[in-house]
Amino acid sequence: MNFYERLMNLDRRWVYLVVGIAVIIPVLNPFRVPVYVTQEVKAIYDCVESLEPGDILFLAIDYDPQAMAEVHPMAKAIMRQCFAKDVKLIISALSQNGPGMAEQLISELSKEFGKKSGIDYCYLGYKPYFSIVILGMGQNFRIPFPTDYYGVPLDSLPMMRGVQNYDDVKVVIDISSGNITDYWIIYGNGRYNVKLAVGVTGVMTANYYPYLASGQIFGLMGGLKGASEYEVLSKQGDRAIKMMSIQTTAHIVIILFIVAGNIGYFMSRKKKIK
Amino acid sequence: MDLGTIIWNTVALFLTLCIFSFLYKDNPFYKFAEHLVVGVSAGYFAIILYFNGFLPKVWEPVTQRGEWWYLLPTILGMMTWARFSKKWSWISRFAIAFYMGIAVGVAIPLEMQQRVIKQLHATMLPVHFTNIQGVWNLLIMLGVLCGLIYFFFSMGHKGVVGGAARLGIWILMIGFGAGFGLTVMGRISLLADRITEIHNWYLMVTKALWGF
Amino acid sequence: MSPIFFYLSFWFDFNRINVLVILGLFFAFVFYFINQAKKGKSLFVRRISGLDAIEEAVGRATEMGKPILYISGIEDMDNLQTVASMIILGNVTEMVARYDVPLLVPICRPFVVPVAEEAVKQGYIKAGKPDAYDKNNIRYISDEQFAYTAGVNGIMLRERPAANLMFGSFFAESLIMAETGFSTGAIQVAGTANIHQLPFFVVACDYTIIGEELFATSAYLSKEPKLLGSLKGSDLAKFLIMIILILGALLETFGITEFSSWFFVR
Repeated sequence: MNFYERLMNLDRRWVYLVVGIAVIIPVLNPFRVPVYVTQEVKAIYDCVESLEPGDILFLAIDYDPQAMAEVHPMAKAIMRQCFAKDVKLIISALSQNGPGMAEQLISELSKEFGKKSGIDYCYLGYKPYFSIVILGMGQNFRIPFPTDYYGVPLDSLPMMRGVQNYDDVKVVIDISSGNITDYWIIYGNGRYNVKLAVGVTGVMTANYYPYLASGQIFGLMGGLKGASEYEVLSKQGDRAIKMMSIQTTAHIVIILFIVAGNIGYFMSRKKKIK
Repeated sequence: MDLGTIIWNTVALFLTLCIFSFLYKDNPFYKFAEHLVVGVSAGYFAIILYFNGFLPKVWEPVTQRGEWWYLLPTILGMMTWARFSKKWSWISRFAIAFYMGIAVGVAIPLEMQQRVIKQLHATMLPVHFTNIQGVWNLLIMLGVLCGLIYFFFSMGHKGVVGGAARLGIWILMIGFGAGFGLTVMGRISLLADRITEIHNWYLMVTKALWGF
Repeated sequence: MSPIFFYLSFWFDFNRINVLVILGLFFAFVFYFINQAKKGKSLFVRRISGLDAIEEAVGRATEMGKPILYISGIEDMDNLQTVASMIILGNVTEMVARYDVPLLVPICRPFVVPVAEEAVKQGYIKAGKPDAYDKNNIRYISDEQFAYTAGVNGIMLRERPAANLMFGSFFAESLIMAETGFSTGAIQVAGTANIHQLPFFVVACDYTIIGEELFATSAYLSKEPKLLGSLKGSDLAKFLIMIILILGALLETFGITEFSSWFFVR
């Protein structure tokens, strides 16, 4: 096997090792990289920033713990921004493994900002069949969620008095790692004309640009990069910003491997043709 | 930092390393972690369904509020279980038909509106060469048309149609490349998070043991 | 507004007439072609290249004497991709039954299990080998995405199938499964309509059936009038969309916006 074939057929475990080292080094020796903010993330920040104290924002925390690394910083930054501005939050967790994780986040931030359940925020929790829940909330939040996550009837919560459905919230931000976002776009925006922005994992980001271009969503945060951009704008937290250095080194290593593999492929093919 | 947190974080670290050991080769540690996640997820989901589905939507309305009409969808739901019996599986068809009818009736007009018509409207862009936006619009139009031709099954991919389909698949592949790049970013961020947590565990344990 | 329209507007959303017209046209195309297919008229559908890859995969499994692993995605029967996957499963089973190759079918959703059992059983019956059907080869693993993936990876590493066929709806687990399959040296053919997973299948699999080709494959294999009619109807709808796009873009270029504004949904 010549050099180029060896390059192309490199044992994947060497790739894992080098990528692992490329990730470990910035963890042990942290450094910062500049984060450039994109228009689609700024649109979400500007919208939240324009809300007045007492306005209601619906935050759908629709991801599982396995996607926490990418999208949790987004949810955290938005919640912190809202709590800092005294914007009220209605929070749902329509992903089946997410409710406990969402509750942990809410407890942590509400303690930090001195916010009270039922007064400053209302955590609805989880109900199965998210498409039906999204449709039901368009009629009345009480249809899928007669009580909040803690078992308190919505009617007895001070902040939910007079709040019936999406018409009473200024904006819906869906942070998701699965196809729940599609249903927010189809049912939430399609049926109820909800003003919708989404934060999704890196895998899904490319699929939602058509909806951004058509105006069906007004903002899009994609993966950890999107989270870091939001943290730069909101100045609420820096976990995602710190991770950008790790992303940079790992991406450089991967690009080098891709180039090496392609050189191996084309040179091997050239030799075979000769 | 209390002992409970240290213990649970150590368990999390152990399970992380068990799963990572698969990168070298399959081994009993990986198998243990795999079976653990299968069992825990099944148990967790069963409990979630019971406390968030059955209790608030069936048990409490019927037994505590006397809302007997919740029994009707309950019976429909139970009818779907008849699927597992060879003799009585025909009963499940009524429930499935009811569910499919509603789902299709709600979904199809909205899917057509959101995924086709709004996108169609947004894609009718003016094509010109007076500024760069006009050129981008031309590229978008070309990409959409060639992509549609690739997925046209009523004609073979020959001649002009074949050429357009070829261009379509190239454009699709460029799109897939962009998606792949974004995914690499996503996967690296998951790895980075785990490595950061391992580092945090190390700092936590050294602080607990040696005070620094 | 006249009183009739006022009261009608409680039942009929006049702002969405364009949706009704386009939906009506689409339904008309599909019904027309389904009727044509039921009457026995030959409807041309070009051969999907992925089918040759499936046959090659089955052939290789026969040569090596190893099983074939068929993964039908992680969604339930309400997802059209799972329905298409079950149709392909039935046809793959017929191919597999002829060569006496074991077929393993791990399933993610309980509801899909009886459908998969029926598809596989019918495949063996059509191939004339009903006794070869083994219900235990169709296994429910877990509802949870990564628990299912871990289970499937375990099967790939332990059973070492010669071919992995992955057709259906996949999410983040697609790359994990495709990579594990690649590392075992299996020939892999995948197909999904989830665009965000296609890049991983394209790089890790020997052949990928992209998007709507999955539904076209199920229609081509089954020759079922409803599936063929739907495919032809959607082809005609695509043709109409292309005409509308070209016309709309030309008119927009010349500053005429009335045509495109008809498609605007308020």
